[in-house]
Amino acid sequence: MRVDAPFERRPLIGLLLRVKMRSLYNRANKAADEAPIRLTVSVLLVGLIWFALYFMFDLVFANLERTPLEATVALPLIFNFFFMAMLAMLTFSNAIIAYGAMFGKNESSYLLTSPLTPLDVVTLKYIESLVMASWALVLLGLPLMVAMAGLVDQSNQLLFYGLFLAFFLAFIPIPGALGLFLAWLAARVFPRRATRVVSVLIGVAIMVSVFWGMRSLQTSDDAMEIWLRNFQSRMRFLRAAFLPNNWVASGIDHAIRYRFSEAFMYLGVTIANALFLSWAVVRFVARYFDGALDRAMVGRGEGVRYVPAAGGGMTGWLFIYLPKPLRIIATKDLRVFMRDPLQWSQLAILFGLLFLYLSNMPTLRIQLSGAGWRLMMPFLNLCAVSLILATFTCRFVFPLISLEGRKLWLVGLLPMKRSRVLWAKFAFAMTITLAVAMSAMIMSLIVLKLNLFWSITHLAVVASICFGLCGISVGLGARLPMYEELNAARIANGLGGTTNLLMSVVLVAMVLTGVGLATWRSRFLPFMETPEVSTIAMCVFSVSLSIIVGVVALRIGGKHFAKAEV
Amino acid sequence: MTDEMIDDNLAVSLQGVRKCYGSKVAVENLTLELKRGELFAFLGPNGAGKTTTIKMIVGLLQPNKGEVRVCGHHVGTNGLEAKSQLAYVPDQPFLYEKLTGREFLYFVAEMYNLTKEQRTERIATLMERLDFSEYIDHLTENYSHGMKQKVVLAAALLHEPTVLVIDEPMVGLDPRSIRTVKNLFVERTRAGGAVFMSTHTLDIAEAVADRIGIIHRGKLVAVGTLEQLKSQAQKDHSLEEIFLGMTEATDAC
Repeated sequence: MRVDAPFERRPLIGLLLRVKMRSLYNRANKAADEAPIRLTVSVLLVGLIWFALYFMFDLVFANLERTPLEATVALPLIFNFFFMAMLAMLTFSNAIIAYGAMFGKNESSYLLTSPLTPLDVVTLKYIESLVMASWALVLLGLPLMVAMAGLVDQSNQLLFYGLFLAFFLAFIPIPGALGLFLAWLAARVFPRRATRVVSVLIGVAIMVSVFWGMRSLQTSDDAMEIWLRNFQSRMRFLRAAFLPNNWVASGIDHAIRYRFSEAFMYLGVTIANALFLSWAVVRFVARYFDGALDRAMVGRGEGVRYVPAAGGGMTGWLFIYLPKPLRIIATKDLRVFMRDPLQWSQLAILFGLLFLYLSNMPTLRIQLSGAGWRLMMPFLNLCAVSLILATFTCRFVFPLISLEGRKLWLVGLLPMKRSRVLWAKFAFAMTITLAVAMSAMIMSLIVLKLNLFWSITHLAVVASICFGLCGISVGLGARLPMYEELNAARIANGLGGTTNLLMSVVLVAMVLTGVGLATWRSRFLPFMETPEVSTIAMCVFSVSLSIIVGVVALRIGGKHFAKAEV
Repeated sequence: MTDEMIDDNLAVSLQGVRKCYGSKVAVENLTLELKRGELFAFLGPNGAGKTTTIKMIVGLLQPNKGEVRVCGHHVGTNGLEAKSQLAYVPDQPFLYEKLTGREFLYFVAEMYNLTKEQRTERIATLMERLDFSEYIDHLTENYSHGMKQKVVLAAALLHEPTVLVIDEPMVGLDPRSIRTVKNLFVERTRAGGAVFMSTHTLDIAEAVADRIGIIHRGKLVAVGTLEQLKSQAQKDHSLEEIFLGMTEATDAC
C-alpha cells in the first residue's frame, strides 16, 4: 500500500517556549502601553510586600541571633516546617495548574493535532505550571535569603546568596513533578470531577495538618522542658532522610554554619532527585497522556447530571425573603457557586481552618483567664473573620457583575429595573457571607463565654462588615467592571479588583479600629459590667459606618449599571 | 486490517469504530472512507456524533473499538505521521491571544518545518485570498469570530495538508469569505487533497461536496453522492428534505 513518507521527528519544545516568551513580551508591552499606572502600582505593591517581608525576617533572625542556643534548635525546625509546607502547597498548586493546562484548555487539543509529540506538549505544560505555581515562592524567598545573609559574615555572603538561590531552584521541580503526576492521575481516575476531587483533597490535607499542629501545641500538665522534648520528638518525622524538605533545610543550615562541603552535598542530592523525578514523571505522563486526555474528554462529554429538587430545594428557600425576580437571579448565582469547587472550596477551607482553631482554643497554651485577654481574644477572632470575608468578597463577589454583563442581553431585558439586578447579587453575597461568618462568631463567643453586651456587639459588627463588604464589592463591581473578561481571577486582579481590595481593607481597618478602641477601653472593666456610653458610641459608629459605606457603594454601582452598555 | 489491504488512494479510513461516553454510545460501528481528491460533508443533528468522529480522526479521542487511519497511518499507534498529513480546524478556533496573526502563522510554519521562502509566499497568498492583511499585525485577542476563523483557516492550509478536517467552517464568515473558503476547499481537492467537513449549512454541503454522509444517534444512516442520497430517499428533493426525512425516519425506528 502507499503510505506517505515518514515525517521528520524533531523536538519542538524550543519553538513552543519561544512562542510563550513572545506572548509574555507582548503582554508586558500591552500593559505598559495601555495601563502604565496599574503596572506601576503593581510593581510598587510587590516592592512594598517584599520590603515588609525582609524587615519581618530580619527581625526574627536578629532575635534568634541573640539567643544562639535557641537558634541552634529552632532554625533547622523552622526551615523544615517551611519547606515541608512549601512541598505540600506547591504540589497541589502545580496539580491544579497542570490539570487546567493539560486537560482543560483548547491549547493542548490544538497542539496535539499538530506534529508535536506528547512529550513536547507535556514538557511545555510542566514548565508552564512550574513557573506559574512557583514564582511566588522564589519572590518571597528572596527577602528571606537577604535577611538570612545577615547571619553569615560578609566574606561568605556572596556564596551564601548563590547557594540559597540554587537550593530554591533545585527544590521547586520536586513538587512540580509530583503535581504533574497528580494532575494526570486525577484525569485518569476522576475524569468527571477532577477539580472537585483535587479541591477536597487539598481541604482535607490542610485540615489534617492544622489539626495535627494544634494537637502538637496543646497544653499538658508537664513541665515546659518535657513538653518541648515531646514536641521535638513528634516533629522528628520532618527530618526523615528521604524528604526533600530535609535536604534543603539541612543544606541551608550547614551553609549558615560555614560547612560548605555538607551544604554542597545536600544541594547535589536535591538537584539529582529533582532532575530524576522530573525526567521520570514527564516521560511517564507523556507516555500515557493520550489515554488520560481521552478519559478527561470523555468525562466532560458524559457531564454531571443535576436534577433540581422540588421547589428549588435549599437554594430556593434560602432566598424566600426576596421578591420572585430577584430570588430567581440569586438562586441561579448560588447554584453556580455550589457547582464551582474553586469558589466553595476556598471559602470552606478558610472558615474550616477558623472553626478548627476556635474549637481548639481551650486546649492551646494561651492564658485566657486574664481580664484583658477575655476581650482581646474575641476581638482578634473578629479581625480574622473580617479579613477572610474581605478576601472572599474581593475574589468572588466583585467579578459577579462583570461576568453577568456578558448576559446583559438576557438580564437587561427582564421586566424590572436594571439596578435591581445588583440587589439580587447583593442578597446572594450577603446570605453566603452572613451564614458562615455568623456561625464562626457565635462559636467564638460560646467558646470564650463573652457577656451579652460584647456578644451582641461582635455579632452586629460582623453583620455590618458583611453588609459593607458585599455592598462595596457589588457596587464597585458595577462601577468598574471588566465586561470583556471571562476569567473571574483576572477580573479580581484588574484595576477595579485592586481598588475594591483597597476599599475593603480600608473599611475593615476603620471598623475594627473603632471596635478595637472600645475593646481597649473596656479591658480592665469587671467582666459583667456594661461599658460607658462613649465606648458604646464607638461600636455604634463602627456598625453605622459599614452600613453607610455599603449603601453608598450600591447606589453608585446601581446608577452606573442602569446605563451600562456592553 | 493490515497495511497491505488498505487502498493507496485512501485519505481517511474509519473501520468499525465505536466510541462511548460512559454508558452513552456516541458513535456506533462507523465505517467510512474518504479518498484523496474528495470533499466530504458530514451532516447530522446536534449530538449525533459528528465532533466525536472528527476528534477520533485527528487523534484527540481514542475509539473503544475499530481503527482510524489517515493516509495509511494508524492514528493510535503512528500518530505523528498521521498528524503531519492533516490539518484540523475546530468549531471554536484556537489562537494565542497575546500573539499577532502574523506571529501565529510564523509559529505554525515553523512547526511544519517550512522554509522561509515557502512561509513568506504562502502567508502572502492566503492573506490576500482570505483578506485579513488589515489586522494581521494586531493581537488576536481583539479579533472577531470571523477574523479568528480566517487566520485559523490560513494556518491550517499553510503546510498544504493532504487531509483537511474542519468543523463548521463557515460560522462567522461574511458571504465573500464563504465563497473564498469554498473555492479553497475545491482547489485543495483538485490538488489531490481531501476535505472532511462537518456542517449544519446544508446548502454549502449541497453545492461543494462530492459525497455526503448523514450521522444520527451515532450511526451512519446514509452516505453517497447527492444523487445517490436522493435515490436512497426515493425523492427528488433538496438535501434539507432528505436530511430531515432520514433523521426523522431513524427516530421513528
